[in-house]
Amino acid sequence: MKRRSFIGWGTAGLAALWSAVGVSLGAVVRFLTPSVYYEPPQTFKIGNPSDFPLGPPTFLADEKIFVFRDRDKGFAVASAVCTHLGCTVGYSQSDERFHCPCHGSVFGANGAVQHGPAPRPLEWFEVTLARDGQLSVDKDKVVPAAYRLMVER
Amino acid sequence: MPQFFFALSLIGLVLILAAVWQASTPTWKTYQRDFHQLEAQGEPNSLAKAAALATPPVIHQVLLTGLQRVDRCTTCHLGVDDPTMKNAAQPFRFHPNLAPHTPAKFGCTICHGGQGLATDKANAHGRVPFWQEPLLPKDYIRASCGRCHKEGEVPGVPELTEGRRLFETQGCRGCHKLNGVGGSIGPDLTEEGASRRFPEWLERHFLTPSAVSPSSPMPNFNFTKEQARALTYYMLSLTSEEMGTYYSSVRLIPSASYGRELFVEKNCIACHNIGGVGAKNGPDLLGVTKQHSTGWLDEQLVNPELVYPGSIMPAYDLATNARKAIVAYMASATPDDAQLILSQRAKPLTPQDAAIEAGKQNFSRFGCVGCHGLQLQGGVPNPNSQGGEVPSLLHASDDYTKEEVITIIRNGKVPPTENTAKPAPPLYMPSWKSVLSDEDINRIADYLWSLQKKKDGW
Amino acid sequence: MNPIQDLWQSIVRRDPLSTDKGKSELVFLNVWLHIHPAKVKRENLKLKHTWYLGFITFFLFLILVTTGVALMFYYRPNAPQAYQDVKDLQFVVFLGPFLRNMHRWAAHGMVISVFFHMCRVFYTGSYKRPRQFNWMIGVFLFLVTLGLSFTGYLLPWDQLAFWAITVGTNIGSYAPLVGKQLRELLLGGHSVGEAALLRFYVLHVAVLPGVMVLLTMVHFWRVRKDGGLSRPVWKLEPEKAEKLVTIGAPEAPAPLSVALASKDKTYGLMEVVTGKPIFETVTAEEEEDTTFSYPYAFFREAVALMATVTGVMAISLFWNAPLEELANPAKTPNPAKAPWYFLGLQELVSHSALLGGVVVPALAVLALLAVPYLDTNPSRRPADRKWANRAFTIFVVVNVVLIVVGTFFRGPGWALVAPWTHISGAE
Repeated sequence: MKRRSFIGWGTAGLAALWSAVGVSLGAVVRFLTPSVYYEPPQTFKIGNPSDFPLGPPTFLADEKIFVFRDRDKGFAVASAVCTHLGCTVGYSQSDERFHCPCHGSVFGANGAVQHGPAPRPLEWFEVTLARDGQLSVDKDKVVPAAYRLMVER
Repeated sequence: MPQFFFALSLIGLVLILAAVWQASTPTWKTYQRDFHQLEAQGEPNSLAKAAALATPPVIHQVLLTGLQRVDRCTTCHLGVDDPTMKNAAQPFRFHPNLAPHTPAKFGCTICHGGQGLATDKANAHGRVPFWQEPLLPKDYIRASCGRCHKEGEVPGVPELTEGRRLFETQGCRGCHKLNGVGGSIGPDLTEEGASRRFPEWLERHFLTPSAVSPSSPMPNFNFTKEQARALTYYMLSLTSEEMGTYYSSVRLIPSASYGRELFVEKNCIACHNIGGVGAKNGPDLLGVTKQHSTGWLDEQLVNPELVYPGSIMPAYDLATNARKAIVAYMASATPDDAQLILSQRAKPLTPQDAAIEAGKQNFSRFGCVGCHGLQLQGGVPNPNSQGGEVPSLLHASDDYTKEEVITIIRNGKVPPTENTAKPAPPLYMPSWKSVLSDEDINRIADYLWSLQKKKDGW
Repeated sequence: MNPIQDLWQSIVRRDPLSTDKGKSELVFLNVWLHIHPAKVKRENLKLKHTWYLGFITFFLFLILVTTGVALMFYYRPNAPQAYQDVKDLQFVVFLGPFLRNMHRWAAHGMVISVFFHMCRVFYTGSYKRPRQFNWMIGVFLFLVTLGLSFTGYLLPWDQLAFWAITVGTNIGSYAPLVGKQLRELLLGGHSVGEAALLRFYVLHVAVLPGVMVLLTMVHFWRVRKDGGLSRPVWKLEPEKAEKLVTIGAPEAPAPLSVALASKDKTYGLMEVVTGKPIFETVTAEEEEDTTFSYPYAFFREAVALMATVTGVMAISLFWNAPLEELANPAKTPNPAKAPWYFLGLQELVSHSALLGGVVVPALAVLALLAVPYLDTNPSRRPADRKWANRAFTIFVVVNVVLIVVGTFFRGPGWALVAPWTHISGAE
């Protein structure tokens, strides 16, 4: 066949082929990205507002969070995972600070690093009121330390 | 030739795009979009509306390792725990009265059936080939309570208790094994709820066995519709669920009625009294919940010696919720109730009468009544056997000695065939020596002999 | 030269493809392509002689490896999680159903195409000297294909998988002396269970593909050394046929294609030794009968590859691989059938376990292996081989009939049923 039309068809064919390859590569990446996780969910409910007392925060061990309830300032949820190497911090009522047992990091009541090797403050997670009245925490949404959920009594 | 190459490349591109399109547009995404639109309608301000509409589509999943299942129903059934969706159309409608069985802790399929792993409607509802747990029709959902709550009464599901009672008294065990005890003529029913979750079939089977199992020798027991339903509920509860510790710890319902069942079963009235009614060996239990804390009472049930050294009260091995049930009963027990319990206990009998009574109990419990009848009248059809039916036992003494009857019960007996060219009779007397002790068999024989009709004089 | 050109030249070192030298270097300097000759005989390219079945089989294998590795990211060979993982592939993984379908249909396709390839090689007499041993390697490749399909069949861990493998391994256990031990080795136990699943998985993803790759390498290498792809030698023009000289079997008068060294070819000289050549050397005849592999041969191969891939994709878009209920050792479906390519075997077994299950198949395989050594007729022309072709056709027909009977005409209890009866094995 004529050289020109050979190149014409051939180029068009190659274009289609390379497009197909490109789409396939994208599809492979999407294929390997999980659609579900065999893990505890990142968003979960923790109970009704009335379940949480005022004063020192409530520690939820399975979810690794502290739930704060201030009389006027509403609800806040902090991560209990130390930002240094991932150990679970504890809250000390006497000095109202978080202490990490592994390497001695100390975080203030707002999560800021006061002492020790931790590079970043403790994360605060978004807490909202679900439609059935329960508190819902979303670990995928990190909020500033000043974030509060106000709940009417 | 290059046209060929181009055509194939183009076809290849089209096919890949088609595959990606097919994978990107599952039906659940449409449902989610519709739900978010519904949500947005209910939102007061445009910011919230926009937020609702912008929610990315994602598969929702409840991981229930303790119940060995994964439920993805909430991918489409998004309004299940949202009270504002009370009047929404399905699949978005709110599910009332869920507590304490919240989806996060229990999923959906343990009660409703269906295929939790699936993400499209037909497969998720499980009414597809090769899925043995289809969605239960509305009338039968309460039967699922029996999958976990196997002891005691389940509040709101009297059918389960009635079904169990019918099974034990109508002689089902004569042909069917349950948990290792029973006859082998019909199938073993221990896992019936797991292998046959088809309530319409079960109910029709109880009403007219031959209609659904054409060659079945199961007699028609002439159950009423209510009785058939109760038995169906009971069948659906015959599963062996492997449960994690959380579920097995909350399985027993600590209700006062269950506590009363345990009170009777453990024969507490043999030592204790309530307001003076009962035995005097142990203390009066009237008002005991006002005198002691529930923790103290619980400890008493676990470890009586710890609380009262030298106590002769046995240490019963009771689950946590069973103990709670007993304590709950204690809060409401009255002397009149104790009187009722006392009067329902077996009266002292002569040894001979006791043997006959024990034989009668065995005759019912082990299902002999299923074939030989509640009045020993026989009459159940047994095609191609000599006589054509299961014989009456009221004249057994005319043809056999007591020892011969005992031997038949121990070893079983195949009825003689009328016409050897035709198939053998389906019903036969199973061998019971591996199930019943010699003493139990002797008592059955005593019972039978107590009812023999004397032959009229020649 | 600028740095970009330097970079390019350091990677791609051949001359431009517009030159003959460049076209040759593309082949013999490139590790992926150098199995090809730089030039092929035009007749090698004929579609209707080979139907490109060997290529198609190989491309299906490539599809299977690619889709198989993809599936491995989501599959655990533990019972019963394996079943849940396959359900997840169906319902949750992006392109999960599509990839699983591609894997299944390519597998069935490969069994069919390797069988057709064997038929083609037989009917064109391409197993005759000097290609006898390559035929035997081909038979081994066929058996490895069946083994790969069989080991893969168990992995979904549903009723279909469980009982098909139970039946299949039981058939194998009838082999004398080694049967029982072979079954125990395969199953890692006395019956199909967790150990069997793991062993079948390792065989399926590592051992058998490794064997397949090694044998394929030998197979392709020998094709080259034996003179390239098969071509219809009996159709050569008479004067060309006269010019052909026999090598290796001087007494036999039949034509074997031969090397007449062409003046314009480039030769690589490996070593100088004395002795009689035992097989064809360089496979070029006169210049006008050959053409460069690039682009003509590669183009056709690419078209075959694309046709195979698009064919499998099209089928996978519309037909789903089956998945029945979770494997249940306590509940045997009636009838319990082996995978379709073993149904002929199961039909034979139903008549006689030892004779049908062991003796006849073993003799069939041995006969297949021995074909090039039993067939002493040196001619490849169909007219000269009527009886050989008839015998082979009978063999093929018998196999197909046995499989058809086993698939459509056998119902519960292995009783004969009308083929239109719906056989619901699992219910």
